[in-house]
Amino acid sequence: MEIIRRIIIEPFEGLYAKILVFLPNFLASVLIFVVGIVLAAVVRALFFRIFRAIGMDRFFERTGTVELLKKGGLGDSVAALLSKLLGWGILIVFVVIAMRTLEIPTVERLLERFLLYFPNIFVAAVIALFGYLAGNFLGRAALIASVNAGLKVSGTIGKFVKYAVFVLAGTMALDQLGIGRDTVIVAFALVFGGVVLALAIAFGLAGRDIAKEYLEKKIKGEEGKDEISHL
Amino acid sequence: MNSIILRTEIQERIGEIGEADILVGIPSFNNAGTIGHVVKAVQAGFAKYFPDKKCVLINSDGGSTDGTMGVVQDTAIDDSSSILFYHRKGPIFKISTPYHGIPGKGSAFRTIFQIAEVLNVKACAVVDSDLRSITPEWLELLIKPVIQDEFDYVAPLYHRHKYDGTITNSIVYPLTRALYGKRVRQPIGGDFGFSGRLARFYLTKDVWGTDVAKYGIDIWMTTVAIASGFKVCQAFLGAKIHDPKDPGADLSAMLYQVVSSAFGLMDFYSETWKSVTNSEPVPTFGFQYAVGLEPVAVNVERMIERFSLGVRELMDIWKEILPGEVAGFLRKVSEQPIESFRIPDEVWVEIIYNFALAFHRQTINKEHLLKSLTPLYIGRTASFVRETWESGASEVEEKIEGLCLMFEEKKSFIAEKWDT
Repeated sequence: MEIIRRIIIEPFEGLYAKILVFLPNFLASVLIFVVGIVLAAVVRALFFRIFRAIGMDRFFERTGTVELLKKGGLGDSVAALLSKLLGWGILIVFVVIAMRTLEIPTVERLLERFLLYFPNIFVAAVIALFGYLAGNFLGRAALIASVNAGLKVSGTIGKFVKYAVFVLAGTMALDQLGIGRDTVIVAFALVFGGVVLALAIAFGLAGRDIAKEYLEKKIKGEEGKDEISHL
Repeated sequence: MNSIILRTEIQERIGEIGEADILVGIPSFNNAGTIGHVVKAVQAGFAKYFPDKKCVLINSDGGSTDGTMGVVQDTAIDDSSSILFYHRKGPIFKISTPYHGIPGKGSAFRTIFQIAEVLNVKACAVVDSDLRSITPEWLELLIKPVIQDEFDYVAPLYHRHKYDGTITNSIVYPLTRALYGKRVRQPIGGDFGFSGRLARFYLTKDVWGTDVAKYGIDIWMTTVAIASGFKVCQAFLGAKIHDPKDPGADLSAMLYQVVSSAFGLMDFYSETWKSVTNSEPVPTFGFQYAVGLEPVAVNVERMIERFSLGVRELMDIWKEILPGEVAGFLRKVSEQPIESFRIPDEVWVEIIYNFALAFHRQTINKEHLLKSLTPLYIGRTASFVRETWESGASEVEEKIEGLCLMFEEKKSFIAEKWDT
């Protein structure tokens, strides 16, 4: 009987005791999580109304941010997006508190490491997002401007600007995450420097005549220029 | 005077003048070479046609570095007998002041409107500082309809070269006429007469931080006057000969500012224009006569190249804005030889109305949208030049009339789609 008590009953009693200790923490944790969900929903709805009331969408429409978001596949208004972010922020805070309430050492250690690294992920994601949006926007602006300037390489210019911004943002995001920090920066500097040098050499050698013609036109005035007055 | 900052000496000068009957404003920026003639013409106009009125000339300058303001101050009529004016009862006041705000013609006008308000003037006019063809008679034609016939807005009517004012002829005039129902032939002519009442009305509008402060001011003034129900007429001023509009100015920037103002006004006055079903002529003052105009050089081949480049590179953007058949037509026409290059009125009207809809719906960034219109505008201008190369002034006018009728005919398209 002693053996049975030691092998079967005592561990169960121990488990039962641990459950009795853990259960209040677990219930408290669930409660905190539920409160977090409710509070996040309330904050999101409240701030959405406040942002709409102060005309945040109109302001961002004027600045072109809405267009950037649309181009990046985000259909939400800026007010909706920011209020959602606030809601998620509240929820994350409550999830962390709830997990700490569980008082499980392994979870606490993992949580600590995640929390220390989380800001890097967040900042890297923001950099990548803005890099994507800005790359598309600036690429298109460069394309239209070079077409209006009559440059035959407009498509290449537009793509170059777009991908240059992508690469720059990607490099910054990886740097933020600490992934191959030195390698990425050195690689970026080499690639960027190489492209600039290649362009300089190409223009200097292959485009010598074009450069000459361009400068002559600029200095002497363009031949056969239209005299149409548009306004 | 709360919303503008004028130098103390200018404020004192305005205080000395007190009130005035007529004010003429001349916006300027580095126009020392031409503004002297304009100032002389205005002074002579005051002397000859308004000898018993208290007249003020305002030069609103954008920070010229070539001595423009000095030229204005130093210019006087050399030989009064040559213009046959009567003895004036009072002096002509002249003020030259830099304006504040976004650099542009609109900001210059704002300062002029505000001084007009302070001086409580009955009639105003604004004339460009680069005019070579202005005469004293312009003052009579722009101001007398306001003083004698109680008109609020006098638009100019000029004889211009058939390729002068192509944005006006292909976009602004037909669009304004179709939308608001008044046939004001030069809605962005640049030289206007208006009542003190209308100047005060303009100042109530909060537009001075937008493109209205730049090249958009002319279309804004005309549209606001028509859409707000002010009495509008036009006056025939003869030939318009002026220096090329800012040789360094970027066409796409000009087009953007003018068209964005016109499309922005469509948003603001949507309920007004949707109820207009046809157009009517406005009263026209002045004796119309034919004038000789200097020929202009046009490089059609290069214009078509610009258009074709746009088709190659910007088609992905245009596809978001234009119907499939229009995009297909543009691609097809860009592959045709120059001899058969043509963008018909119908296609052009569809392009403009669809761009207006995209602007209203904010399909893409507004600046990108309107700057991507530039190659299409150049293509349409090339087509117009090809079609009218051998035509005289009256034939060209008939062609423009045909375009206007097309804009009016297709207006129901945009009215129906506006709120959907």
